Amino acid sequence: MKVAINVLQALALILGAPLVRGVVARFKAFLQRRQGASIWRPYSDLAKLFRKEDLVPPTASGVFRVVPFVLFGTTICVAAFVPLVQPSALLASGGDFFLFVYLLAMGRFFLSLGGFDGGSAFGGMGASREALVSSLAEAPFLLSLVAVAILASHADIAGMVAWTLQQNIFNISAVHILAFTSLAMVVIAETGRMPVDNPTTHLELTMIHEGMVLEYSGPSLAWIEWASAVKLHAMLALLVALFVPWGMASSVSVGAIGLALLLYCAKATLLMVLLAVIESGMAKLRMYLVPDFLGVASAVSALAVIFTTLVKR
Amino acid sequence: MPLAPIELGFVFLLAALGFFVPLLLIASQAKRARSLAIALVIGGNLIGCFVAALCFWRESNPLLDLSRFTPFPFALGIDRLSALFLLLICTVAVPVAIFAASYFDNHYGEHRRNWMWAFFSLFLLSMIVVVTASTGFAFLVGWELMTLISAGLILMEGDSAERCHNVFIYLLMMHAGAAAVAASFFLFLPYSHGLGFAAIRTASAGVPAGIRTLIFLLAFVGFGTKAGIIPLHLWLPRAHPIAPSPVSALMSSVMLKTAVYGFVRFAFDFLGGGPSWSGYIVLLAGAVSGLLGVLYAIAEHDLKRLLAYHSVENIGIIYLGLGTSLVFLAHHQPVLAALALIAALLHTFNHALFKSLLFLGAGAISNATQTVDLEELGGLQRRMPVTGATFLIACCSIVGLPLFNGFISEWLTFRSFLAGSILTNTKAQIVLPLMVGVLALIGGLAAACFVKVFGVAFLGRSRSAEAEHAVEVPVSMQGGMIMLAAACLLIGTLPGILLHPLASLAQVLIPGGGVPEETLIIARVIPWIAAIILGVSMTGALLKRRERMVRTWACGLPGLTSRMQYTSTGFSKPIRFVFSSVYKPDRKIDRLPADQPYFPVSITYRSVRTTSYEKTIYRPFVEMILSAAHQLRRMQTGNIQVYLLYIFVTLVSLLAFLRFQK
Amino acid sequence: MGLVEIATGKVLSSFSVFLFLTILLLVVARRISTSVLLFSVQSAIIAAEVFATGFRERLAEAYVVGALILVIKVVAIPRAFFSLVHHLKTSHDVNASTTPTQSVFIAATMIYLAYAAVHSYGQSVHVPEDALAAAVALILTGAFLMVSRNKALMQMLGLLVLENGIFLAALTTTFGMPLVIEIGVFFDILIGLLLMGIFTFRIRDTFDHLDVSKLRRLRG
Repeated sequence: MKVAINVLQALALILGAPLVRGVVARFKAFLQRRQGASIWRPYSDLAKLFRKEDLVPPTASGVFRVVPFVLFGTTICVAAFVPLVQPSALLASGGDFFLFVYLLAMGRFFLSLGGFDGGSAFGGMGASREALVSSLAEAPFLLSLVAVAILASHADIAGMVAWTLQQNIFNISAVHILAFTSLAMVVIAETGRMPVDNPTTHLELTMIHEGMVLEYSGPSLAWIEWASAVKLHAMLALLVALFVPWGMASSVSVGAIGLALLLYCAKATLLMVLLAVIESGMAKLRMYLVPDFLGVASAVSALAVIFTTLVKR
Repeated sequence: MPLAPIELGFVFLLAALGFFVPLLLIASQAKRARSLAIALVIGGNLIGCFVAALCFWRESNPLLDLSRFTPFPFALGIDRLSALFLLLICTVAVPVAIFAASYFDNHYGEHRRNWMWAFFSLFLLSMIVVVTASTGFAFLVGWELMTLISAGLILMEGDSAERCHNVFIYLLMMHAGAAAVAASFFLFLPYSHGLGFAAIRTASAGVPAGIRTLIFLLAFVGFGTKAGIIPLHLWLPRAHPIAPSPVSALMSSVMLKTAVYGFVRFAFDFLGGGPSWSGYIVLLAGAVSGLLGVLYAIAEHDLKRLLAYHSVENIGIIYLGLGTSLVFLAHHQPVLAALALIAALLHTFNHALFKSLLFLGAGAISNATQTVDLEELGGLQRRMPVTGATFLIACCSIVGLPLFNGFISEWLTFRSFLAGSILTNTKAQIVLPLMVGVLALIGGLAAACFVKVFGVAFLGRSRSAEAEHAVEVPVSMQGGMIMLAAACLLIGTLPGILLHPLASLAQVLIPGGGVPEETLIIARVIPWIAAIILGVSMTGALLKRRERMVRTWACGLPGLTSRMQYTSTGFSKPIRFVFSSVYKPDRKIDRLPADQPYFPVSITYRSVRTTSYEKTIYRPFVEMILSAAHQLRRMQTGNIQVYLLYIFVTLVSLLAFLRFQK
Repeated sequence: MGLVEIATGKVLSSFSVFLFLTILLLVVARRISTSVLLFSVQSAIIAAEVFATGFRERLAEAYVVGALILVIKVVAIPRAFFSLVHHLKTSHDVNASTTPTQSVFIAATMIYLAYAAVHSYGQSVHVPEDALAAAVALILTGAFLMVSRNKALMQMLGLLVLENGIFLAALTTTFGMPLVIEIGVFFDILIGLLLMGIFTFRIRDTFDHLDVSKLRRLRG
C-alpha cells in the first residue's frame, strides 16, 4: 500500500508540475497588475508542442536527439526522491541527497551539450553561462543539505524528513534558518528564475536556460519544458518536506492522506507566492553579479554546517 | 620446486614483457615478429588480469623470490593491495595495447616502431615490478626503471630542444622524488635489518615517533612528486602532452597510480596511520590539488595538457579520500576509515579507466585531424561516431554523473566526509563536512570543463578543414576504446563487483574494521535509476515521429560560419573571470597600425598564464642550494697544506671524541 | 496570557538567529538606505528581546528602556539618516572595499569567533550563550563596517551597530542596567550623532565628497 502511495506521489509531482508553473505565472501577473494567462495554460502548451513536428538543425548529431530523453528521465528519477504526503518516497530510503543533486547535474550536463549542437552562437553562450552558474551553485546546494543531514543523523531524504517531523515546530534552530536561506537561493539559481535568469525573456543576450534550448522544437521541446517544470516542483517540494513537513500522514488511511495532501497544497502555494514576490520584486542580476549571489549562498551554507557543531553539543 | 598455476601465470607475464618481447623486436624487423610481439604483450597482460583477479577476489599470495640472482634481496609477491593495482595495470594495458597496434602503425616508421613496442612492454614491466615488489630493492629498481623508460618513450617521439628541456625537468623532479622515497625506506633499516616488506611491517611498531613522522613526511613528498600534487606537479603538464597518446594514457592512468600505491603501502601498511595532523596535511594537499588542477584545466585549449591538469585534480580527489581515512584512523574509527579508503582506492581504479579512455580518444582525434587544439576541432561526432560515443562516456565518468563509474567513488568520498560529523573532535567535525563543499565545487568546475571539451571538439560545426574531413579511426583503435567504455559503464551500474573485494582489502589494511553499509546501499539503488532512465529513453525514441532538417536561424544573415560558434577560450571566460585571482594572466594586445585605433588592419591578442610556483617556490629554493654550494667551494683552496690540515683536524677530533665519550 | 508566554519564550530562544541574519544582510547591502533599514530591524529585534526579558523577569524599567529603544533607534535615528542622505544629495552606494562574497565570509568567521570566545567564558558564568555571542558578533560587525565602508555615513552606522552590540552584551550579562545609566548612554549617542551630522555637512562642503579613503591630507 505504501508503495502505491509512493508511486502516486511521484506521479503527482510529475503531472502537477506544469500547474505549479502556471500558478506562479498567474501570481506574478497579479502582482504586476496584469490579467495573466490561465493556470492551466502550460498543459495546453505541452499538448500543442507534442502535436507539432521536430525540427532539427543540420549540425545536430545523436547527442542532440538524445538530450530531451535523458533530461526527462533524470528529472523523473529526481521526482521519485521527494516525499509529499507521507515521509517516504519511491527512492527516498535508499537514495540520499547526493544522488539527488548529481541526477540534476546529469540532466544539466546533457542540456549544455545540446546547446552546443545547434552550431549557433546562442547555444554556446547559454551553455557557458549555465556552466558558470551551476558550477558555483553545487557547493551551497550540497552544504545546506549536509547541515540538515548532520542534525538528522540520516543521509537519506526519508530519514531527514522523519527526524524533522519529530521536532517541535517552535524550536527554530539557527541551522535550519541558515540552511533554508541558502537552499532557497540555490533553488532560484538552479531553476533559472529571477534574479538569476529570466524565464520569460525573448532577448537572447539575457538568456541562460532558454539559450540552451533555442534550437529545440516540437516534442523534444515539450520534454525539456516539462522536465524543467518537474525540476521546479521537485525542488519546492523538497523545501517543504525538509523544513516544514508537519502534517504528513503517519498512517495509510484515506483521511490522513487527504489532510496531508491539502496541507501540502497550502504550503506549496505559500512558497509559490513567495517565489512570485521575489521574482516580481527584484531585477535580474548582471551576469558577473551572480557569482556574488552564489558566494553569499555558499557562505551561509558553510555557516550552517559550522553551526551544527554548536547545536549538537 | 613446482610452481602453482598462479605463479606460473605471473612468471609468464614477467618473462613475456621483460624478455621475449624486447628480444623479438630488437632481433628481427619482420612484420610477423612484430605481430607476435604485440600478441605476446596483449596475451601476457590478459593472463596478468586473471592472476590479479584471482588474487584480489580470493585470498592467495604468490611469492617469487629471485634473490639468488641479484646482489640485494629481490622478491616479487602479490598480496591483496598489489593484486588491485596489478589488476589496474593489466586491465588498462590490454585496451591501450590494442589501440597502440594501429596507432603506432600510422605514426612511426618500421625501425622506430619496434623500439617503441620494446620500450612499451618494458614500461609495463617496470610498473608491474613496482606494484608487486616485496623488498625495498625491487621497489626502487622498478621505480627508477619507470622514470627512465617513460623518458625514453617521450624522447623517441622527437627530440627538439623544447622537448629535451621538458624531459630534463621531468627526470629532475622524478629523481628528487625517488631520493625522498629511498630515504624513507632506508630510515627503517636500523629497526628492521633488511628491507623486505614483511620485516618492515613487523619492525614498524618499534620505530620511535619522531622517526615515524619523518618517514611519513618523506614518503608524502616523494610519492607526492610522482603523483603530481600541487606544488610538486610542475612536470605533469610538461611531460604528458608531449608523449605519444597511448603512452600518455599509460603515464596518466597507471604511472600516477603507482605513486598512490606507494603512499598507501607506507601510510597504511607500514606505519598504520599517523597522528591526526598527518591526515589534515593530506586533506589540504588533496583540496588544493583538486581545486587548482581543475581551474588550470578550464583555461587550457590544448586537449592533452587539459587532460594532464585533470589528472592533477583527480589525484587531489584520491588524496582527499586518503586524508579522511587517516583522520578517522587517528580518532580510532576503523569502519569509517575503511569507508574512506575504499572510496580512494575505487577512485584510483576508476580514474585509470576513464583517464586512459580520454587519452586514447585524444589519440584518435589527433590521428584523424593531426591536431589536439580544441580551437581547430568541431563537429567530429557525426564523422567519428564511435570515438565520440566512447569519449562522451569517458566525459560523463570523469565528471561523476550517476550510472558511470566516477559517480560511485565520488559518492563514497562524500559519504565519508558526511560521516566525519560523528567524531567528537570539533576540528574534524567542522573540516570534514566542509570538504563536501570543496569536492562539490571541484565536481561542478569539472563538469563545466568537460561540457567545453566535448561541446567544442565534437559538436557543432567544424572549425578547420582537417576537422571537416576527419574519418573514423581503424577498428582496432575503436575496439580498445569500446572495451574501456564498457568497463566504465559496467562498474557504474553494477558497483558491487568491485566494492565487496575492496571492503575485504580495507579490512586487511585497517584491522578492526567492518564493512561499511554505504557500500551496500549504493549497489541497490543505482540499477533502478538506470532502468528508469533507459526506459524513458527507449519509450521516447520509439514514440518519435519523423523529424525535418531546417537550417539554424542566423538572425537574417546568409548563413552561420564556424567562426560564429563559441570557442573554448570564450566558453571558459566567465569562470576565468570569477577566479581571476588564481590565474593572473599576462596580456598583450597589438593593434596594427597603431595610430588608427578604430580601423585596425590586424589585432593580435596574447594571453600567457604565468604559473607562479616557479618564481615563488622553486627559484628561491634553487638559489638557496646554489648559494650553499658556493659557500662550500671555499673549502677547496687548492693548497695542499690546508688539505693535510683537514686530515690532521679530523684525527684530533676523533681522539677527543673517543676520550670524552665515557 | 498563555499566548504571551509562548511568544516570549519564542522570542527569547530564537532572537539571536534573526540577529545573525541581519548581520549577514548588513555586510552584503549595497545601498545606504538598505543598511539603515536593516539597522532599524536589528534595533526592533533587540527591543522585542528587552520587552520579553522584562516580562520574564518582571522588571518595570525594562519596558521603559524598550520603549526608548523603539522611539530612538527604530524610528528617530533612521529617519534622521534618511533625511541626511536626502539633503546631502550624495550617491546611494555604500562604497564597500570588499566584494559581497568576501564580506559574507568575513562575517561568518566573525560569528564563529564570537561563539568560540563566548564558549570558553560561558562555562563559568551563567549566561545565555546565544545572546552573548550575538552581542559580540554585533560589536565585531560594527567595527568591520567602519573599516570596510568608505562613506562617512557608513562610519556612523557602524558605530551605531557597535553600540547595539555593547548594549545587548550589557543586557545579557546583567539582566538590565539601571535606568539612569541607560538614559545617559542614549543621550551620549544622540549628541555624538548630532555632532557627526554637522561635521558630515562640513566635510561635504569643504571636500565636495564623503569618501573617507580620500581624506588623507593630514599625513606625517
